Amino acid sequence: MKSLHEIKESFSIAYGAVKANKVRGMLTTLGIIIGIVAVVTTMTAANGLGNRFKESISVIGSDVLYVSRTPWVFSGNFFQFRNRNQLTLRDGEKLERQLHEAKAVNTRTFSNQNLKYRSTVLENVTIIGTTENHVLVSAGAPQYGRFIIDNDVQYKKQVCVIGWEIKDRLFKDVDPINKKIKIGRYHFRVVGVMEKLGSAGFFGGPNFDRQVMVPISTLMKCFGGRNRNFDIVVKAPSTEALYDFEYSVIGEMRKIRKLAPTEENDFSINKMDTLMAAYNNVMGVVILIGLVITSISLFVGGIGVMNIMFVSVTERTREIGIRKAIGAKKRSILIQFLFESSSICLIGGLIGLIMAYGVTQIINAFLLPASISPGIVIIAIVISVMVGVVSGIIPAYRASKLNPIEALRYE
Amino acid sequence: MQLEIKEITKNYKMGTEIVAALRGISVNLLKNEYLAIMGPSGSGKSTLMNIIGCLDTHSAGSYLLEGADVSKMNDDQLAEIRNQKIGFVFQTFNLIPRADVFHNVELPMVYSGISSSMRKKLAEEAIEKVGLTDRMKHKPSELSGGQRQRVAIARALVNNPSIILADEPTGNLDSSTGAEIMSVLDQLHQAGNTIILVTHENDIAAHANRVIKLKDGLVETDELNHKHFAA
Ligand SMILES: Nc1ncnc2c1ncn2[C@@H]1O[C@H](COP(=O)(O)OP(=O)(O)O)[C@@H](O)[C@H]1O
Ligand SMILES: [Mg+2]
Repeated sequence: MKSLHEIKESFSIAYGAVKANKVRGMLTTLGIIIGIVAVVTTMTAANGLGNRFKESISVIGSDVLYVSRTPWVFSGNFFQFRNRNQLTLRDGEKLERQLHEAKAVNTRTFSNQNLKYRSTVLENVTIIGTTENHVLVSAGAPQYGRFIIDNDVQYKKQVCVIGWEIKDRLFKDVDPINKKIKIGRYHFRVVGVMEKLGSAGFFGGPNFDRQVMVPISTLMKCFGGRNRNFDIVVKAPSTEALYDFEYSVIGEMRKIRKLAPTEENDFSINKMDTLMAAYNNVMGVVILIGLVITSISLFVGGIGVMNIMFVSVTERTREIGIRKAIGAKKRSILIQFLFESSSICLIGGLIGLIMAYGVTQIINAFLLPASISPGIVIIAIVISVMVGVVSGIIPAYRASKLNPIEALRYE
Repeated sequence: MQLEIKEITKNYKMGTEIVAALRGISVNLLKNEYLAIMGPSGSGKSTLMNIIGCLDTHSAGSYLLEGADVSKMNDDQLAEIRNQKIGFVFQTFNLIPRADVFHNVELPMVYSGISSSMRKKLAEEAIEKVGLTDRMKHKPSELSGGQRQRVAIARALVNNPSIILADEPTGNLDSSTGAEIMSVLDQLHQAGNTIILVTHENDIAAHANRVIKLKDGLVETDELNHKHFAA
């Protein structure tokens, strides 16, 4: 009860002190403001980027493995993968036959071609040769029309399913279904349009909406079947089983590739986690830079507040003496000044939050969707108050130790 | 016995030199006494008051306040004594400039943890006793010297202390305002309070019923004020 009254008293003293020294307080809180803007913006942007990234790779699927010749992300020397044999269509067929746990298996191959519809040309578009199994392993489904079917693959039909962005660019408001487009030198009939899948282009990854899918057999017929690289997409029974499933896939692939026990894998297993991990590495560095800026600003701000608090203690030496003479204990004086320093920093923190909100709106408008989460607000407030307590502790301690008579005599 | 002081000394260190402000003072005080301490400047009056008020500690000797040995107390215990048992009135008023009259008066109760409704009641009573009810929301800077000293008196008596200590309370006031302040102190004495007053003016000291004269840190005379009883 007793300390409650003292805390209330401290609060009103702090309020009065801050009100009386508005300009001085504002200047000293600049470091705190910058620090809070830095931390909030960094975390909000990182959050937004993270969401955008997860969204854009969600089409990959968390329960799907991609068997490829090379890893998607690697550190070190690319040449270590150069001697690997290409994955073949046969490898894919064998895996589909032998890997009983798999929910579905789809073999794919790629080509880059120009697209043309009437006079509109799109250069260098990713053409994916795939099978009807595509929809079983991937999250995306056609928005209009249909996907490639067994029959298309079997008879090497020149049909295609186009991505959302391709539809926008080539057809605008025209219904693309059953229209003929040119892929390279060949005519294809559009049978379907994929729903919007998102893009990892922001991160230098593929844009899933700027792709065209054709039957794998047709792609090999039109754009060459020899010396072609394939990748095999396999879907695990569940996301939880992915870890064990990966071992089965590696085991089967080693059999298919006829590797001796001493030989290393001559293929790579890729998955969503690989990308997540790579992304997190990059983000880790970005966040680290943000935190360094934050720490430096907060440190500078904290020193400023400490300095102001020393001034405040000196200015109010006599008041401290009066308070002690009428019965304030050391603790009361300590709390009083800690409250004052925390309030200054808290105000800085709140101003920082408001400014960070503005910065977030700008990011939102021009870069990517980002919003300040309640958690970040709480973190910002806790950080500001902590800086206030830390930078106030020495001045407050000095104030609490003042000799009452000397303090009363101070002019 | 309100307080028992035996052979108290106080030395100040000034660099290498030691100043003996008090050189062995003994005083006993009964409840509801009205004591004036007189003496030339530098004779140790304020030093003695500060020790009695537990703002300062003595170098040697013993001091019992209501039977409790003050020399054995730590800073926080002394703060509690100042809060509960002592009411200070200073020559320079020593009010908190930013706080209004009401808040200045309620402050000792904040530090003793009294609830705010109780504080309001007691502070208003104390302010009424010194006749400043209509100045409750004024800042000290908006008051005259005499009014400021009344606020200080209200603050000194609000926690119902054992002793009210007034170190030259009229020193900064003109004589008619000084007389008003003295009449407030007289009323407090009549209401049963114990008062110690420092002054070097005879007509101020005449209000007390006992006068101690200090000289060079020693008690020169300690006598009852016959004039007072005659009046
Ligand atoms: N803080 C101090 N440091 C050194 N000397 C002091 C201090 N306070 C008082 N003195 C000395 O002690 C003596 C008594 O002072 P004081 O009690 O203030 O006298 P009075 O109030 O009777 O004028 C004086 O000589 C004064 O100079
Ligand atoms: Mg004096």
